[in-house]
Amino acid sequence: MAGIWVLAEDYKHCLELLNAGQKLAETLDKQLAVFLMQKPDRADDFIAHGADRVYLLPALPEDQTMEAYIPLIAGIAKQEQPDIFFIGASLRCKEMAARIAASLNTGLCSDCTGFTLDEESQSLVMERLIFGGAAVQKVICETLPQMATIPAGAFEAGTALSGRDGQVIELSPAPPSPVKLIAKKSNARQTTNLAEARVVICVGRGLEKEADLEMARELAELLGAEIGCTRPISEELHWMPEETCIGLSGIKVKPELYIGLGVSGQIQHLTGINEARVICAINCDENAPIFDVSNYGIVGDVYKVVPQLIAELKQALHK
Amino acid sequence: MPGILCCFKWVVDEAYIRAGTGKELDLDWVDYKISDYDRNAIEEAVRLQEKHGGNVSAITVGKPDDTKGLKDALSRGPEKAYFINDSSFDNLEPSQTAAILAEVIGGSSIDYDLIICGEGSSDLYARQVGPRLAAKLGIPCAAFVQKIEMEQDKIIVERKIEDGVEVLELPLPALVTVLPDINSPRIPGLKDTLSASKKPVIDIGLDELSGSFDPCLRTISISKANMERNGVKLSSEPQDISSLVDALIKQGVIGGVK
Repeated sequence: MAGIWVLAEDYKHCLELLNAGQKLAETLDKQLAVFLMQKPDRADDFIAHGADRVYLLPALPEDQTMEAYIPLIAGIAKQEQPDIFFIGASLRCKEMAARIAASLNTGLCSDCTGFTLDEESQSLVMERLIFGGAAVQKVICETLPQMATIPAGAFEAGTALSGRDGQVIELSPAPPSPVKLIAKKSNARQTTNLAEARVVICVGRGLEKEADLEMARELAELLGAEIGCTRPISEELHWMPEETCIGLSGIKVKPELYIGLGVSGQIQHLTGINEARVICAINCDENAPIFDVSNYGIVGDVYKVVPQLIAELKQALHK
Repeated sequence: MPGILCCFKWVVDEAYIRAGTGKELDLDWVDYKISDYDRNAIEEAVRLQEKHGGNVSAITVGKPDDTKGLKDALSRGPEKAYFINDSSFDNLEPSQTAAILAEVIGGSSIDYDLIICGEGSSDLYARQVGPRLAAKLGIPCAAFVQKIEMEQDKIIVERKIEDGVEVLELPLPALVTVLPDINSPRIPGLKDTLSASKKPVIDIGLDELSGSFDPCLRTISISKANMERNGVKLSSEPQDISSLVDALIKQGVIGGVK
């Protein structure tokens, strides 16, 4: 009866996985268990969100990172034999999931974006993107536990119910990992609202110089938009911070309107904008792949089109 | 003098994938390449060797006809390559690749201090093989590394994750997976390509391995991601831009909350 297990670094992410797990637990008549780090007082909250069991991970010495929990988690998984193990797809937890899966000799569906249950076998049929997002792969994990890492936001968090009962189990510390944490530099990341923005302007390699970002800023201000970029702009040219990079390995946006300025549309980028309601692209190359996924494509020089567009918008929006 | 192993995968170049008819992908015209981030892994191994001496070997798992990848990898600097191949080593899932690599690396006379893998492969991008391999070999591991400093019997690495950078110390032997920002891979010249064909390749067949390497994940289907929109193509003429603005307003995506 070890059932369905859930682990994530982030609190909200954990609630999302609990919600996904709880529905499965009901259908499959299994127990739901969750791992809790650092904040033991959250145990009741997790129980209210569907957990039948909370495993409390012991505090770590200062020179250890969360990966030190791997032997501990793999150890109790061997003992309790869960059927399903969902892990939040943060970078750290992805590494942890792969190492746990290897010690359990089981399969792992990375970045699982959704799943269904196979009627006959009751196995999870899990979906993920491959080839930079060009294709959807469906997999079944034929070994136990069926493991998946699940990105934040793939499921909604559920609501807390009062009066639920659950068990809290304190785990004893694992032997220290040979990997030592010597220093930590937190991110000077600016928080961006790209992921939630209603309108996104994205700049790509079609822009010739950094100063041309001004054009994008003017358009963004007019439309109340957030500005993102393609990978070369942040990774190679460093015109924009990394956290504004849109795509498979960056941020996925889901605005009402996306406008690409000089974006050619590499598949990895298109994967990150696929959920936009309306996609509009301005590019001088009429064969640019972004036009295939656009609702409106303007074939033309971005330096001519954007000023015209700004003028036209000002008039139409009475600004 | 460190021994460095760099792992690489020979993959379908996704830029050549065409949308086929219906839900299919057209893979008939694809070309292959060394997975993008594995080029960073090879480059980093070679740079560490240039600084500290020792030797660099490349290792890959694939089908017997994937020899083009070997030459490509060797032209990037490693002095020899291990080619674990069998006609059944096609579309392997991460647990299989890691198990095969672990048996060869762990069970043979390959002497290594450091194993470097790319962060993930450009086809599956599951980001599992590196960490799984470390777990199978029972060696320390750090994924998503953007900087490596090598010392006598340890490495100091910077790993970049969502909330910042962690500086970690790993006793050797160890495994790291590297991010693309760790370096800019060199582009092999004609001389490198010519010398690559003279470098030794150690061929390892399935009959030399004892494991069974059954997959844990079974792929049920691969279908085209549905991204196409039947869009309108416009020109940069004023009337077209004006009609775009009209359309965007009518759709309620600009000009106030819908």
